[in-house]
Amino acid sequence: MDSDLILIIVVATALAFDFTNGFHDTANVVATSISTRAMAPRIAVGYAAALNFVGAFLSLAVAATIASGIVESDLINEQIVFGGLVGAIGWNLLTWYFGLPSSSSHALIGGVVGSAFVAKGPDAVIGDGLIGKVAVPALVAPLLAFVVAGLAITVVYRIVGGLRPGSVTRGFKAGQIFSGGLLALAHGTNDAQKTMGIIALALVANGQLDAGSDPPTWVVVSAATAIALGTYVGGWRIIKTMGSRIIKMDSAQGFAAQGSGAAVILAASHVGFPLSTTHTISGGVMGAGAAKRLSAVRWGVAGNIIVAWVLTIPAAALIGGATYGITRIFGTGAVGPLVVSIAAVAVIATVFARRVQRGPVITAAEGG
Amino acid sequence: MTVFAEVVDWGAVLDVIWVSLLAGVGVTAIFSIGILAASRTGDLRRSGQAGTATAYAVLTLLAFAAVAAAMAFGIVVMTQKD
Repeated sequence: MDSDLILIIVVATALAFDFTNGFHDTANVVATSISTRAMAPRIAVGYAAALNFVGAFLSLAVAATIASGIVESDLINEQIVFGGLVGAIGWNLLTWYFGLPSSSSHALIGGVVGSAFVAKGPDAVIGDGLIGKVAVPALVAPLLAFVVAGLAITVVYRIVGGLRPGSVTRGFKAGQIFSGGLLALAHGTNDAQKTMGIIALALVANGQLDAGSDPPTWVVVSAATAIALGTYVGGWRIIKTMGSRIIKMDSAQGFAAQGSGAAVILAASHVGFPLSTTHTISGGVMGAGAAKRLSAVRWGVAGNIIVAWVLTIPAAALIGGATYGITRIFGTGAVGPLVVSIAAVAVIATVFARRVQRGPVITAAEGG
Repeated sequence: MTVFAEVVDWGAVLDVIWVSLLAGVGVTAIFSIGILAASRTGDLRRSGQAGTATAYAVLTLLAFAAVAAAMAFGIVVMTQKD
């Protein structure tokens, strides 16, 4: 009974993380399309949500489960996963509140690293994995996307520079519908799998699934639905930052940023090199702006985003570790996770209620 | 430095860099050529140069077909992820 209850809590928390992953990362896919008016805000998030849902079914490569190669996977239990998930959700909500695009994958890795560190000590964390699979890709992704988008927009301006602005704008707006769609599919494929992997891990730990098996259909459908719903709700604060606070972009820059981002993400996916969608698209947006004019990029905003990237793993680790510590006060059963879940829902509801009392949050109407 | 050499798959990093540059810049450039050719097609038709307009129309189709093929390849990459 107790093990079933903890499994239910972990599954619900994983789906909650998946939801925050969706609304936090909506901006990666739709921000450029909305800010260049290639699509109306609500249509853009609906389109992204539908393609995120479809993307979740494109590949079920969940064998490499959460934080594989970064923490010792045979030491992970359901309470550690729960602590990691709460760490990731906490950081995702905090960065959303401040409108900062940060990596949900890094938040999840940080949460699990912190939780595993508190539970099993430093031996649970694989330092080489943190460098090779997290630190280096975190440097490569934004820099590469920055350079590719910068070169791409330079070439674009050379080719279409002499044409009437109207036809160029219409052409790139149409192109953004397809490049944005490709990004949404890639996002659904990559990120919904993280949640499927977590739930599969919990099912294996609970003895309800053989290790290495494909996740059951209900896991795939629920993970796809959670990320699609989160995407549809839309993290409008981050959309605004990504779409108009870093640079004021034209449709050619939007297409170059999305096209370059998709190229980097898919190239990395092809050779099995893990990159963050958020880091990649943010780098692409900055590169498309900087190539036109260095001063076109609001470097203060870009600096805040980079600080959030650097803080993501330690901050999520801190929350994840603290969560694990609190759950252990109540023993090894389901009581700890249950108490933390109730407290977390109460805190989130209070923050949202206060926010609503202070006035409307950024919505679809002003997202662009 | 040795640690970095051992724990980072630099071959994969180099592959990501050159493929990203080729695909990102290449696809964006080809799409731009499509827009340029489409715009020229309209201008030439209006000025009565039907032959040249047809050549630009073919270039438009080829450019957009190449971009569509690249996107389809991207979807194939997603489905074949390890």
